[in-house]
Amino acid sequence: VKRGVSALLALAALAWALPAWTLARSEAAARAEVVALQAGTVHLVEGGKVLEGGVTIVLRDGKILAVGKDVAVPPGARVVDYGADAVIVPGLVAANSPYGVGPPSRRTADPGVLAVDNFDPFSSAYLADVAGGVTSAYLAPARGRLIAGQGAVVKLAGDDLRRRVVSRSAALQGSVGAEARDVPGYWDPPVPATVEVGLGVAEPQLPRTTMGAIVALTELLEAARSGKEADAYGPGAARELARVLGTGLPWRIDAGTETEIRAILRLAQSERLPLVIDGAERAGELADEIRRAGASAIVEVDVAPNSAGRDFGKGRDDRWPVFDTAARLVRAGVPIAIATEDSVRPRDLRFAAAVASRGGLAADAALRAITLGPAEILGVADRVGSIAPGKDADFAVLNGPPLSAASSVIATWIDGEPVWEAPGSEAAGSKAPGSKPVVIEVAELYVGDGEVLRPGQVLMQGGRIAEVGRRVAHPLGVVVVRGHAAMPGMIDAFGHLGLDGSSKAPPTDYKLARVVEPGDRVDRRVARAGVTTVVLTPRGQSSSGTPMMAYKPAGHDLELMVLSDPTALHFAWTNTRNRVESGKDVREVLAKAIEYEKKWKEYEAAIAKWTPPEPTPEPETKKEAGKEEKKPEGASAPERKDDEKKDEKAKGKEKPEPEADPVTGIWEGKLALPPNESEASLRLRLRLEGKVVTGALRCAQVSEGLVALGGTFEEGKLALAGLGSRGFVTLGGEPEEGKLEGKLAVGGTEIELKLERTTKDLDEARRPELRREKKPEEKEPKGKPRAPGTDAKLEPLRNAMHGEGAVVVDVDRAVEILDCVKAFEEAGIKPVLYGADEAWKVADALKGRVAGVILTHQVLEVDPRKGLSEQRNRFAELALAGVPVAFHSAAEEGASDLPLIAAYAVAQGMSPEGALRALTHDAAAMLAIASRVGRLAQGMDGDVLLLDGPPLEPSTSVLRTWVNGEEVR
Amino acid sequence: MPTMPTTTPTPRLALAALAVAALAVSSAATGAASSVGGSGEPARPAAAEGKLAIKAGKVIPGPGRPAIDGGVILIESGRITAVGRDVEIPWDATVIDAPEWTAFPGFVEAHTSRGMDRPNENLEVAPFLSVRDSIDPINFYFEDALRWGLTTINVEQGHDTVIAGQGIVVKPWGLTVEEMTVKPVAGIKISATPKRTLSGATQAQVLRRAFGDLRRYLEDLVQQKREGSDRSRREALFQGRELEGEKAKGRAMEGSAWKVEGLERVPRGEIDEKQEPLLALVEGRMPAFVYCGRPSDVRLALEVARENGFLARTTLVVSPECWKAAGEIAEAGVPIVIEGGLVHTERDPFTGKEIETFVPKVFQERGVRFALSASNSTSESLWYQAALATGLGLTREQALSAVTTVPAEILGLGKRVGSLEPGKDGNVLLFSGDPLSVSSWVERVILEGVEVYDRSKDVRMKHLLEGVTPPGTAAMGEEEEVTHEDEGPPPEAGDEKKDGKKDEEKPPPKDGGNGGNGGKGGGR
Repeated sequence: VKRGVSALLALAALAWALPAWTLARSEAAARAEVVALQAGTVHLVEGGKVLEGGVTIVLRDGKILAVGKDVAVPPGARVVDYGADAVIVPGLVAANSPYGVGPPSRRTADPGVLAVDNFDPFSSAYLADVAGGVTSAYLAPARGRLIAGQGAVVKLAGDDLRRRVVSRSAALQGSVGAEARDVPGYWDPPVPATVEVGLGVAEPQLPRTTMGAIVALTELLEAARSGKEADAYGPGAARELARVLGTGLPWRIDAGTETEIRAILRLAQSERLPLVIDGAERAGELADEIRRAGASAIVEVDVAPNSAGRDFGKGRDDRWPVFDTAARLVRAGVPIAIATEDSVRPRDLRFAAAVASRGGLAADAALRAITLGPAEILGVADRVGSIAPGKDADFAVLNGPPLSAASSVIATWIDGEPVWEAPGSEAAGSKAPGSKPVVIEVAELYVGDGEVLRPGQVLMQGGRIAEVGRRVAHPLGVVVVRGHAAMPGMIDAFGHLGLDGSSKAPPTDYKLARVVEPGDRVDRRVARAGVTTVVLTPRGQSSSGTPMMAYKPAGHDLELMVLSDPTALHFAWTNTRNRVESGKDVREVLAKAIEYEKKWKEYEAAIAKWTPPEPTPEPETKKEAGKEEKKPEGASAPERKDDEKKDEKAKGKEKPEPEADPVTGIWEGKLALPPNESEASLRLRLRLEGKVVTGALRCAQVSEGLVALGGTFEEGKLALAGLGSRGFVTLGGEPEEGKLEGKLAVGGTEIELKLERTTKDLDEARRPELRREKKPEEKEPKGKPRAPGTDAKLEPLRNAMHGEGAVVVDVDRAVEILDCVKAFEEAGIKPVLYGADEAWKVADALKGRVAGVILTHQVLEVDPRKGLSEQRNRFAELALAGVPVAFHSAAEEGASDLPLIAAYAVAQGMSPEGALRALTHDAAAMLAIASRVGRLAQGMDGDVLLLDGPPLEPSTSVLRTWVNGEEVR
Repeated sequence: MPTMPTTTPTPRLALAALAVAALAVSSAATGAASSVGGSGEPARPAAAEGKLAIKAGKVIPGPGRPAIDGGVILIESGRITAVGRDVEIPWDATVIDAPEWTAFPGFVEAHTSRGMDRPNENLEVAPFLSVRDSIDPINFYFEDALRWGLTTINVEQGHDTVIAGQGIVVKPWGLTVEEMTVKPVAGIKISATPKRTLSGATQAQVLRRAFGDLRRYLEDLVQQKREGSDRSRREALFQGRELEGEKAKGRAMEGSAWKVEGLERVPRGEIDEKQEPLLALVEGRMPAFVYCGRPSDVRLALEVARENGFLARTTLVVSPECWKAAGEIAEAGVPIVIEGGLVHTERDPFTGKEIETFVPKVFQERGVRFALSASNSTSESLWYQAALATGLGLTREQALSAVTTVPAEILGLGKRVGSLEPGKDGNVLLFSGDPLSVSSWVERVILEGVEVYDRSKDVRMKHLLEGVTPPGTAAMGEEEEVTHEDEGPPPEAGDEKKDGKKDEEKPPPKDGGNGGNGGKGGGR
């Protein structure tokens, strides 16, 4: 246990202590680095300037070097691009914060108290504010005293403790308000008595009233200016005040009521004090007087009314919120800062500014009031508050307009370092690493089932669609993408992508999942073209049916890539060599299937009647409740096991000695990434054939998508290379007994690598759904009906009978089509017709009897006897008759032409809406995959296309593609 | 001795009984060495004046030195004169023959606030106070210190202060403070952390102002002398201060930070006693122990020490969390005393994960000299801290030096204590096994050549573990009923933990005892 603990502690020490001091050492190096920040929009704040349309900010050594639209990225600079939809504003400056506030002094005036002495740079309490975009904050020394001390301005994050203090002394903090009158009624004489000050007695202490406050301030000022001691205010008070007066520090005086404000304004004018009125929530009426006195104001906004849960009611006028104070002050020309209340954390400062603009404050003035405004009032505008060369590189990166409620902060920078980034959503069920929530905001959202939202928004989270509507939720830190139109990913209902030219028909029970591999470059290009789902169909036929599998070409993991396997069975009805034989094989198979289904039905009926002896191992109601459980576990499990055994035997034959292959398998491990040793996990999928190794690497920090790797394994040495989103990736090492130590190089950086092989069996790893939870085998009670065996070849047909699978039949002529549909009807199956040249002729007879029709490419049917005048659009005919149609490519990479095929059908008279449905929901529905793809609806897979125009316009192109919530690049 | 009635004793009765026991111990020890609780035994001859030879199965002379099997330590007049295998034992030396045991230098506690009646004073700035006046020789802490093998202890005021009084280095043995004293002035205690409910800004203000006031006071004195006023002299005479010899002479101000010109005009005796200790601090004549309870206090502590010229004589007493400020501490080059535990635990504010940091390792890697402290708790005594530190990642050498040689150097006693070398004080512990082993006992403690503790005669230990009341001690009724009573001095004040409870004592290594619960680490 001891060793475990010490190892743990050592790790902890590594994780925390090391970064801290390695940072300190490499600080100089890191700071000298030139960074180019890019975003669509940048608010400079100074002069109300907003740069739009791709702006670059160049930083070095924590300072801004240049900012502008045409600023060139210096050679060697590290580019951080937040994208065209991101908005950068200066790091927010909180004029109020609860930090550093100590209990007030016993004396009414204690100007020597420094708030900076209470600043805890090691605290992690500020993280929430930093996440809200606040980078600097004012610390008050104390509150509730006539003169409480000197406030400071500090940065809320950063490793360099010296840089953290922006101003040790930013304002003299005081109050003439009610709180200041709560001072103890006496001040304590010094203990012990000294020669100079004898045993003292408690003396009364001002103020109890506003006039008392003014008298006390006047007395203190007089003493300070004449170099005397004001003994009634304790030793040192006047002396320290004199020092403050010499520096010209602003007087930040809390004055709540109009009387108090007028009183302090008069004093400030007669004594020529640089005055800042603190807590000026109701100073709107006095705006002109404040301006005449040359004072500025800090307006507090209550962002969480009644958060204490006590309802005071609004019986008094001063309880009613006033929203126009800030606007009136600005209109009068008073410099203002908007702040959150002094007792709450300033994390909602942006929200406070938005609320303050309710009273008519312009958006740019509101933004200024939480950035440059407070910076100027607190005398730190030379370092923070706006984006200008020479200033500190403090930014808040937002995903929308700065004062919009739906915008949130996606990153915060302080002194040229990113100190906070919105965390990726690690929602349950999401296997996509680092997938952040994404909101797509478009003018036209094509939902897929015919509905169009104008405007529309989609929120994707954890790989799935979380919300669809005109305005959806914007989780904090969400990535927002804006564009013209969006639609669900398209479905190629019948394609060969993934077959790599193979023309052999596999056996009916073959798992097609074995032929596809995530991370294929061509697959990703197809997805980028908009085809996110392909129903993979082998070429060639087998009489008992060929499996078809719906998969996502850009899925980043096999688990997410395969929708269902098999999705459908493919039969050929038409026998072109001997039309008499047409449908013979299919009928035979169907007869078997009917028999098979009958046996199961009998079994289900028997088991429904059968009452198990005590104790009941399994409630039988489940069986009756629905048909979800098709197969009773007890019987099918051994059967399935046998299948697996056979499978394994077959694999054993294919592969040589497993020990002779030290490469094939899944490799996993963690690696430390420079510069700050952040940890990343890496997954490698490798297959060795001869000396050639192929595979894929996944590591979010190395490449945004999967990296397809190729290379060799010779003399125990593994050498692989591939292209990732961050440059060329090479991987070398020597695998030994399931361990791989080597080096990974990405874009010139070398990283030490330690991986472990988690499995040698690729096929097993890629088919997790096969590895079902094995229930402990129970002894069958006597008299329990025995289940018929499971036939993997007939199982898809049985699924189709229950509407859970599909059957695709090649058939062309009208007569054969009718025969075929009738045969399937007897088996209780609605087939999908493929080819079906003449289906339009019998469209009315097909309605409701087939799941759909996948037509060949020839859109127009021209009767040679009748000529062009009688040409028919077959898609349109079927669609008008109410028979769902789907588009297909019957190609490999050609799948990417699918949008064009559909656009052509529209050009030939098909309704665009119908074509869109045929590309998405109808195709999904006829192939029984509509529960996951084909529509934009809550819970569906996050497969979304962003378009630059209406879908199915030939001029429209797909701009960006998301598959399972992650963008395909 | 008559036995007490067997009725259930009230705590008051138990206290009385203990007071009697303590008195008995004291009387037996008068003028001669004896062992704790061994009041029934005849007093031994005073070895401090004579010679003592310790033959141990193994001698560990100190960190970084090879152990000697079958070594002899010769102590003459309280000082070690020889350590080695082939040491000739004088004929007139008392011999302790311990072939089973291991000899080890006494542990050095660099900072504690125990052994006083109260650890804190009400005054914020009181450098003129001396802990010496507050030490209670019969405080239970000192008796317990012997059981745990602490032989040199720096007693400083508590943390609830701004500038506190001067600490004192004592050995835990003697009837009077004079007898116990090892170094009369250890250094001034300063706290950079405010008392609970007080503001850090106020703390900083008071701390800075104290030095500002000192400066103004000195300037005022010089000004008075220039003007020919004899007010300070009259004040000194009025207070009955000595104004002769050195005190009658003036001396220019020393120190590296700031100076008051013309201080040589003022006879040193005329400087107010209340200000003098701070002047000593600024002139670099006085060490300082500055407490930092939070990492953010380190900056203030170092800043004040730097600005007033006593950084070179400063030792920081830090809480575990101060590892975060290790960079600043390393840069300042000051040694530290780690107090309050070895592991710092906190939660990551975003992930909520608990993060543990082994504090000494962080400082070790930064090259900061550190001493471990028992943190005012008896059960987490120095051997335990050292043992725990080796388990968590320090080497044995590093851990041992953090409880012997480093604290000795921090206290300016590097040439007197911390290891077994000729010329050093004869402070020897005899362990039944390895000093860092859970199953070892401190069997004997020799302090400056006097055997002051013998476990076999430790009344309280016997009572606790075996339930026997040795002959010659006041009986305390049924053992089960008294073992858990608080004993000894009046309850200690405020923030001081009462860790002196018997249930945290060591159990015997083998049979587990009948009174103890848990092992040495039971207190954790």
